[in-house]
Formats: sequence, structure tokens, C-alpha cells
Amino acid sequence: MNLFKAILPLLILIGSIFALNTNFGTVPPLGKFFDPQAGFWANAETSIPESSEVNFENYNGNATIYFDDRSVPHIFADNEYDLYFAQGYVVARDRLFQLELQTLDASGRLAEKIGPRALGIDKTTRRRGMPYGAEKALKMMKEDPKIWESVNAYSDGINAYIESLEAKDFPLEYKILNFSPEEWTPIKTAHLLKNLTRTLAGGNSDDRTSNTMEYFGADFIEKFFSAKPNLNDPIIPPSKNWDFEAIEVQSPDTLYKPASAVELGEYERPEGIGSNNWVVSGSKTESGYPILANDPHLSLTLPSIWYEVQLNAPGINTYGVSLQGAPGIIIGFNENVAWGTTNTASDVMDWYEIKFRDETQQEYWHDGEWKPTKTRIEEIKVRGEETIIDTVKYTHHGPVTKVESQLDEDSKPVYHALRWIAHEFSNDLKTIYGFNRAKTYSDFEEAVKHWVAPAQNFVFASNEGDIGIYVSGKLPNKWKYQGRTVSDGTDPLYDWQGWIPFEHNPNMKNPERGFVSSANQESAAPDYPYYLDDDFAPFERGRRINELLASMDNITANDMQKMQMDNYSYYAKTLLPSLLEWVDTDSLNDLEKEILGDVESWKYMMEGEQIVPTVFRQWSANFYRAIFDDEYETTDAVLRYPPRDMFVEVIKTQPDFAFTDDIKTKKIETREDIATASFKKSVLQLTNYLGEYGDKWKWGYLINNDVDHLASIPGLGRQNLFSSGSSEAINATRGGTGPSWRMVVEVGPEVKGYGVYPGGPSGNPGSPNYESMIESWRIGELFELNFMKVEPKEYLYKIEIRK
Amino acid sequence: MILLTLLIITAYLVNLVLPWWGIAITGFVLGLQMKPKSGTAFGIGFLALFLLWGGQALYIHLGNNGILSTRIAEMLGVGSPFLVVLITGIIGGLVSGLAVLSGTLLSKIKE
Repeated sequence: MNLFKAILPLLILIGSIFALNTNFGTVPPLGKFFDPQAGFWANAETSIPESSEVNFENYNGNATIYFDDRSVPHIFADNEYDLYFAQGYVVARDRLFQLELQTLDASGRLAEKIGPRALGIDKTTRRRGMPYGAEKALKMMKEDPKIWESVNAYSDGINAYIESLEAKDFPLEYKILNFSPEEWTPIKTAHLLKNLTRTLAGGNSDDRTSNTMEYFGADFIEKFFSAKPNLNDPIIPPSKNWDFEAIEVQSPDTLYKPASAVELGEYERPEGIGSNNWVVSGSKTESGYPILANDPHLSLTLPSIWYEVQLNAPGINTYGVSLQGAPGIIIGFNENVAWGTTNTASDVMDWYEIKFRDETQQEYWHDGEWKPTKTRIEEIKVRGEETIIDTVKYTHHGPVTKVESQLDEDSKPVYHALRWIAHEFSNDLKTIYGFNRAKTYSDFEEAVKHWVAPAQNFVFASNEGDIGIYVSGKLPNKWKYQGRTVSDGTDPLYDWQGWIPFEHNPNMKNPERGFVSSANQESAAPDYPYYLDDDFAPFERGRRINELLASMDNITANDMQKMQMDNYSYYAKTLLPSLLEWVDTDSLNDLEKEILGDVESWKYMMEGEQIVPTVFRQWSANFYRAIFDDEYETTDAVLRYPPRDMFVEVIKTQPDFAFTDDIKTKKIETREDIATASFKKSVLQLTNYLGEYGDKWKWGYLINNDVDHLASIPGLGRQNLFSSGSSEAINATRGGTGPSWRMVVEVGPEVKGYGVYPGGPSGNPGSPNYESMIESWRIGELFELNFMKVEPKEYLYKIEIRK
Repeated sequence: MILLTLLIITAYLVNLVLPWWGIAITGFVLGLQMKPKSGTAFGIGFLALFLLWGGQALYIHLGNNGILSTRIAEMLGVGSPFLVVLITGIIGGLVSGLAVLSGTLLSKIKE
């Protein structure tokens, strides 16, 4: 036999094995991946786990994790170390990939695991100073023995789980992306917390506001961004008496104008992220005890950002949701109190234009002298390629980013330094640690003062009957409108000159009206003596919440659950009657008249089953664009768009508002012309896109609610979830963002909690618990939370962690 | 038939301790030792692992109510979870077929 012919199949075999064991781009290594014993098939759950005991060499403790009928873990431990060890262990079991991905992302290490396609993201993460901020946070944790113990116990628990794994046990995503879980370390907890700040306080419009001022003038800024709508309803109402002397801050005489109009696109504020919380006092409830409700709005993903868990050890018994990577319960309750949170849109991120002495960037001009920069080397490992070394300069403001003008290719590059709250020393976990064990309002106040960032509106209720809200976080003491435009990096008057004393932060305890609430709107009424930001959420959700609560009595937990699903649109209520008044009905064809008739009888509810919300959203969007786009398109510079609520107010009260005219035509258009044309355009667009006017136009489809996989892996998400809601409604579900955890808690002698999130406890796409709660979430059904006072006799199964 | 049975049993066992490419070693060795006809070596090797891997995949697919295979089908854009089961069998089959054929042909050089 010919030797070559005999050996050829062997060569092909070896080649095939090699090929099937390697990933090509996003294609997993197919042989390894399809292997029924260790590939993805091994992640298909075929039965409920059985009770088991797990043992670890260096572990001397005693903890038992009981799983209830929804597979929610309830941890009972002998002491705090054992408790957080078990929390780390069970979170790793259910959410290992999420734990690791979030922190890889937050530390700029994605390319190390998935290759060069993530390099751009990593560079931005590093240049933003994410690892720098995390290192400072770690230092603070180390100085706090209780926190340091909890973070280490949690870390040990995660590692105990990871060490128990064989390759076949790795979560599915590791097999798809072809890498292995690595050891957990405490700094990853710091990375996770910085990630929270990046998500909630990691964007600004400084460059956009500067550009807008340059192109449309200071009047335009005044009209849309300084002015507040009449319907504004701040978190702390004007009835609050500020009994302190505010610390004054010196402002420059004229506002700095940056060198060129530039864009920092990746730092734009994400839309659709907001939240609601409120607490009603016992005077307004059926039981006579306070009820607290909270629904934080975030990007909806599978697995969910939240994980439900109960933590019980001597001195602590608390239930709620955790963030993967941080020990403790972030939002929840214990036997005595409940707490919740929404984001505060205070301006804690500013850009400074930097003047370097020369190209070496060793020195920069500030306060009349050349000051030395510091250098930080970022080493970015790239899978399959050489490590990238990125040198980042730091001024006293923060890390410097080079920005190039999009308008003029020949112009010199400009350098911007970032002043950002995420770079401050912080020990935010101390707040969480305190909440988990709080018994009274003073415990709450003691806990919130340790919170640095992202600034939060924490609400609170106790079974002693106290309710309250505290705008928490370290807030820079700024002169009015400081930092809404790009700042002068050479002038110390533009520096953050100091901090608002924590006691001066907006807060309110047991107000006469019998409730507190927040929906990301302005923190306090105009009489509050400090400037926080000019870019809070529109008034819509906040005002709706306050009006409903003011009108309600004998409130039950069920009433609060229903209220979380309220779809009322203040945007429609304020804009639509005017649009209907302006539209020229004589010019409409039969179909347009029919649709307009339906719109007229609508009650402003953004219900999935209705068609009119689709028409309204399309019409209002086209109307808004028709007013502004012609002017905004005259420049390539990126500009800031007016908020919805001010837009409605201006367009209704100022018929001669210059932007109304379409500058691309000779005719001078009026509101009436624009309203009519944009209505006709909307009907045409929807007909082309959806077909004949009918059920296909239902808002539930157009809301475009996709709950994507965390790493956007196709097939692992849940697409086109037919839903009600809108960004301006309390039920702020919209396009894959919205209520990421709905919780209602009635405190009292026997605390009762209810909750649901769009996902399930398991992070394994091959588990029936991966999205087990999504349908209940969709229709607004909350589960009664099984808060155990003692170790349960009945449970689905348990894991005993022993020596 | 004996070869087919041996291939299935040894591949199953080796897969418990070695990574997935262990199936190529047992296929190769069995080809070398049992010396089937060159014309049928590939076919028998293919059939053995097609049955083993395909069977295992089908068993898991049914036990899991198709939760995971449906997602993988969507991820790979192949439409049906049964195709995912089929692909599993084919990949195992191809590797095993090649392995048995390689072993068989090498055994014949000596002759």
C-alpha cells in the first residue's frame, strides 16, 4: 500500500481534531462544544438538584443553603464569615459567568479573554480610570475590618466553588467563548461597584451643552435647560425648611468657552435608565404600618442583574436582591425595616480642557503655574495577540483623553481631563452593611452617610412607623451650572472646590403629606441652596406618583403593586390635546381621519393591547424631529436636545418659537403645519412598516422589548416580549430597559415582602429557572417573598457547607 | 458488529476521563488492531459515534425538554433542536470514522 495514501486520513484526522478544538472568531470549538459529556449538552439540566453536603479544606464553618419552591436560596450560617462565604458560593454556582464578565468589563480586561474585538472597549474603560478608581476603593475596604472580612469571605466562597469545577461543569458561556473561569479576588468587588457608578453616573453632556451654546446661543440654553417646567414636582417639595447656612462657592466672572466643538460619544448619558421608589406612612395604609415600593429601571438582561437571596446569621436576617460581586443585600428588608433606591442625576462627572506645556505632556498649566502630570501605564492583554501598553496622563482633575474635532480635520487635537466621582475614595459597602442590619431611622441615617457614588435617593421605612428619603452620595459643591459645559482646566475656580456637607444633602423624614417618593426628578425645590445639575429626569413619573399617592388612603401592598404597573403618560396628557387642536382635519384622508378619531378617545394609557400609544409615540417623535432636526442638521457638531417636558411647555406657550419653521422650505411653517404634516407622515410610516391599520399596530409589539443575553449571545435572550409601558410612565418598560426588580414591602410586627424580576435565579440557559419569572414580571405579578425567621423544615433541596 | 459495539463502549469510557478527542484514540487503536476492510472502516467508525453521541444528545434533549437545544439551535441559526442533535452525531461520527480508517490503513502498510 502506498504510504502516502495510508497516512493521509491520519493527517486529516489530526487536522480536524485541531480545528474542532479551536474557536474561530465567534464560532466555538465545535468538537469540544458538541461533546455530549463535557460540551454544552452537560449544561442541560434534567432534574432538580438533590440535597448535598460540600466540604472544603480550609473552611471551619457551618452554613446551610435552603432552596425554596422558586429555587431562591435562603442562607443560614453560624457567623458572618460563614454567611458571606455561602453567599459567594451560591452566587458563583448560579451566576459565575455574570460575576466574571461584569468585572472583566469594569476592569478593561475583555480583550484578554475574548480577543482584539473588545480592545476598543477596554481602552475606553482604562482611560476613564475605572481600574484606578477600583484600586482606591479597595484601599478603603481594607481599612474597615468588617467590610474587609465580608469581601474576603465572599471571595473565598466564590473560589471554593470555582475550584470544585471540572471543565464539563463550566457555565455555557465559557464553552461558547472558549475560556476558563479564573480566581476571584477582592478587588473585583471594587470593580463591580465602579461598574455601578459607570452605569448610573458615568455620562454627561458637557461637550454637547458647550456646542449647543455656541450654535444656538445662551438664550436657547436658558429656555430649555436652565428653565424648569411648571409641572416640575421635586423629590423634596418646597415645604421643606432648610435650617442651615449653605457653604458659598466662588464662581468665575464669565463662562469658559472651549477651544473647539468636539464629541465624546461614548460618554453620552444612556437613555431609558431611571427608577421609582416611594414609601407611604402608616397614616395612609390599611395596616397602619408603612409600605415601601421600589422598581429600579436598568437594561434588562438574561441573566438578570439581580439575584434574590436571604441572609441569616446571628445579628442579621435580611432578604432582597444582591448585585453579583458584592456581599450583602442591595435592595430589600429585614425584620424591622425596608429600603430601596433610585438614581440621583447629580452632575458628578466633568470634562476639563487641558493646556500642556509641550508634546511630552509632562506639565500642564493650572492656577498660574506649570504643574507635573502623573503617568499610569495600562497593560492590556489581548488574547492571541501582543499585549498593548497604553500610557495615560493624569492631572489633579483625573485621567486625560485626547479628543479630535469632527468638524475640522486639520485642527490641533484637544486634551480633556476627566473629573469623576468614581475616582474618589469610597467604602460604599458600609452603607449596604448598615442597611442589612438597621433597626431604626437613626441606623438608616448612620448607614447612608458612608455612600459616595453613584448618588442615590435612598428611601426607608421602619416598623416604628418612620419613613424617609435621603439623597445620598458625595456631592461636589458647585456654583450654579458649573460643569454643564466643558470646564477650563487652567482655572482653579472650575475645580470642584469642596463638597456639600452630608447633613445638607436633600432629605426628608416623616413629612406631613404622609409619603416620600422619587423618580429621578430634581432632588429639591428651587429654594434648596446648592446647585446639583440641570439634567434631571422629566417631571412625568414623579408627578404621577405623587398625585396618585396623595389621592390614596387605606393603602394595601396590592395597591402599591398595581401602581408599579401604571402606564399613564403625562407626556401624552400634556402634548396630545395640543397636537389634536393644531392638526388640520380638512386635509386628512379617510384612514387618517379614522385613526385620528381613535386617538381622540384615548385616555393616555400606554397599554400593550392598544394601538393609539403606537400612533402617539410615532407622531410625537416626528413632530419633535420636525421642529428641531432642520436646525440641528445645519452642523456636524453633536448638540444637546431639549428634554421632552420643556419642549412641550415651550411649544404650547410660544407660538412664535423660531425653530418651528422648517428652514429648508421657503414657506414659514406654523405649529399647525408641522402637526398636520407629522401626523400624515406617521400614518404613512406605520402603514409601510406594519401593514394595514389593525392589531399589528399594537403598542405591545412596537415597544420592542427584548431581554437580551448579558453578552448579547443570540438564542440566550428573550426577544419581543409583548409588554405595556413607556419611558414616561411609572411602568417604564421600553425597548429592553425598565423595571429590573419590582418590590413592595409592608413593614410591621410581621414584615411582608413581594417581588419579581424579569429572569430567574439560575444563570444557566439550560435550566428551567433561567427565565422562570419573566411571564409573571411581564404581567406585573409579584411573588410573596418567603422570609424565614428560623431554618425551614420544608424546602426543595439544601446544600450544607461544612469543614 | 463486534467492532461497532467495541467502538461505542470504548468511546463512552474514554470520554469519561479524556477530553472529547479521546474518541479518536480508541477508534484509531481499534482500527489498527481489528483491521476491518478499508471500504467499511470509515462507515463503521462513523456509525458508532453517530449512534453514541447522537443518542446521548437525544437523551439529554428529551430530559431537558429541549430548553437548551432550542437555544443552541437559535444561536447557530439552524432552526430546529433536532438538527442540533443530528450535528452532534455527525461531528462524533466524522472524527470516529476518520480515526478507524486511519488505524486500518496504517495496519495495512505492514502487510
